[in-house]
Amino acid sequence: MAPLMVGAFYNPHLGAELAATTGIDHLAMADPPAPQDPHWPAIKARYTLLLHDYLGQLSEPLDERAIQRARSLAALYDTPWVAEHFQCLHTEDGTYNLNYVFPPLYTEEFLTRFVANANALQARLDQPLVMENIPGFFDVQASQMPEPVWLRRFFEATGTGFLLDLPHVWLEAHYRAIAPQSWLAEFPLEHVVELHVAGVEEDGDLRGPWIAPTGPSDEMLAFMAHAVAKCPRAKAVTFDAFSPSLTAEVLVGSVERIRSAL
Amino acid sequence: MSDRAVQDDVIRALADAPYRASAAWRRRALAEPERVERFARFLARHFYYERIVHFFKYSRALARVTGRRPEAVLRQPGFDALLPAVVLGSRETARAVCRLVVDHVRSGDPAVPYQDDLLRYEEAMMVVEAGPRVWRDTGSGEGGSGMGAAPELVAGTVLLQLDYDLPLVLAGLLQSWTSPPEAPRQRTTVLVARSRHGRVAVARADGVVASVVQLADGTRTLDDLARAAGLRPGELEATLQGLTEIGAVRFSTGS
Repeated sequence: MAPLMVGAFYNPHLGAELAATTGIDHLAMADPPAPQDPHWPAIKARYTLLLHDYLGQLSEPLDERAIQRARSLAALYDTPWVAEHFQCLHTEDGTYNLNYVFPPLYTEEFLTRFVANANALQARLDQPLVMENIPGFFDVQASQMPEPVWLRRFFEATGTGFLLDLPHVWLEAHYRAIAPQSWLAEFPLEHVVELHVAGVEEDGDLRGPWIAPTGPSDEMLAFMAHAVAKCPRAKAVTFDAFSPSLTAEVLVGSVERIRSAL
Repeated sequence: MSDRAVQDDVIRALADAPYRASAAWRRRALAEPERVERFARFLARHFYYERIVHFFKYSRALARVTGRRPEAVLRQPGFDALLPAVVLGSRETARAVCRLVVDHVRSGDPAVPYQDDLLRYEEAMMVVEAGPRVWRDTGSGEGGSGMGAAPELVAGTVLLQLDYDLPLVLAGLLQSWTSPPEAPRQRTTVLVARSRHGRVAVARADGVVASVVQLADGTRTLDDLARAAGLRPGELEATLQGLTEIGAVRFSTGS
């Protein structure tokens, strides 16, 4: 297995620090660079950049505008792969929007939709498409199969890569009261290209842990080491934190701790 | 009912608190109500955190002088009191959240003489951004330029009269400063509009733009509008093109 790249998300408010620091192999781009971002030229020159923007939800086909935007960003970043999420967060008519990743129902109908729309998107990209798992905080009775089964069938039908978000798996295991390693074993890890690692904190509304712009715990890092060993095609591990409240110390320190734990 | 329609129902329940409380939703018994409620509250705080941080970024930059970070309202009782009525993305909820932010920031030390203008500007941006949007073009010809038809102001577009020339200092507020930049006291009008895809744009509005915006009611033809605004056809066309591009004006296509 080739050495894993270890990186983080580009947080523009930390642009000066990221342009100067060492020890980070890549940056994932959640938003396009702002036109007035003074650090962008240095960031672009220095890092491998991964396209990880919102391109659209694949429950519907992406329109030409969204495809051209994806192609344009992929070319700007010279990204090795293009990431999207298993999400369905706004209603079909556009009236309601959660503005936060939210999984689809795990049904045959949604599988058919996602496979068709991912294949259509992949056909228009010059880079491989990878898809990220999204956690559910509650089960919806209408789902017809477990998430890992649905994901396995999706990857087998499309040949796309898997962006395995480990804290998402960890959270689902927590709220199902099962061991994270046991839940992880259900997922199609042979398709994993990239892993996300992040910290979790107690959330007052959820009355339990959720993703937060904080460093990963030792337990999460051990979970990551366990997972990476089971992902033979993995190429990168990314510290998944993107927030105006994130500090440079947390970002750089987390990347160092991830690298040490691998 | 298709699975896609079921998913839409779940999304609506998470976004729309009154619907979530309704018998229609509860009867469906699609998910554990307490879990749904907890996640909906989490989503509401996240939704408005992102918008407050983005649209009130100038007040946020002034927080070291005012002592008031706009997003602090999300952890205050006023926001909790809104939650049973919150509809994510609606103009009503955007207005209600903005009122909390404006009251909170005003309760601190006034950092700059143009603070009231700044808060009105930021509030206008956030309220204009709200409302349903087009997520995906379906090729049905919506929003064509149709320069021959009657131009109409897009609902939600705002003409904002300011006492200070705010656009001159906005960029400076986001850079490093030891004392906040000063704005000339000079009547200024800006137009705040949103594209069909949800992008908010702001443009200075001179007298020509202001009159076209006020007269574009969807019934006046281009000739009527040119006469009423006292513009030559070329001037009107150029103005309308700019207004269409930022989403302030569209062309009625009805018969």
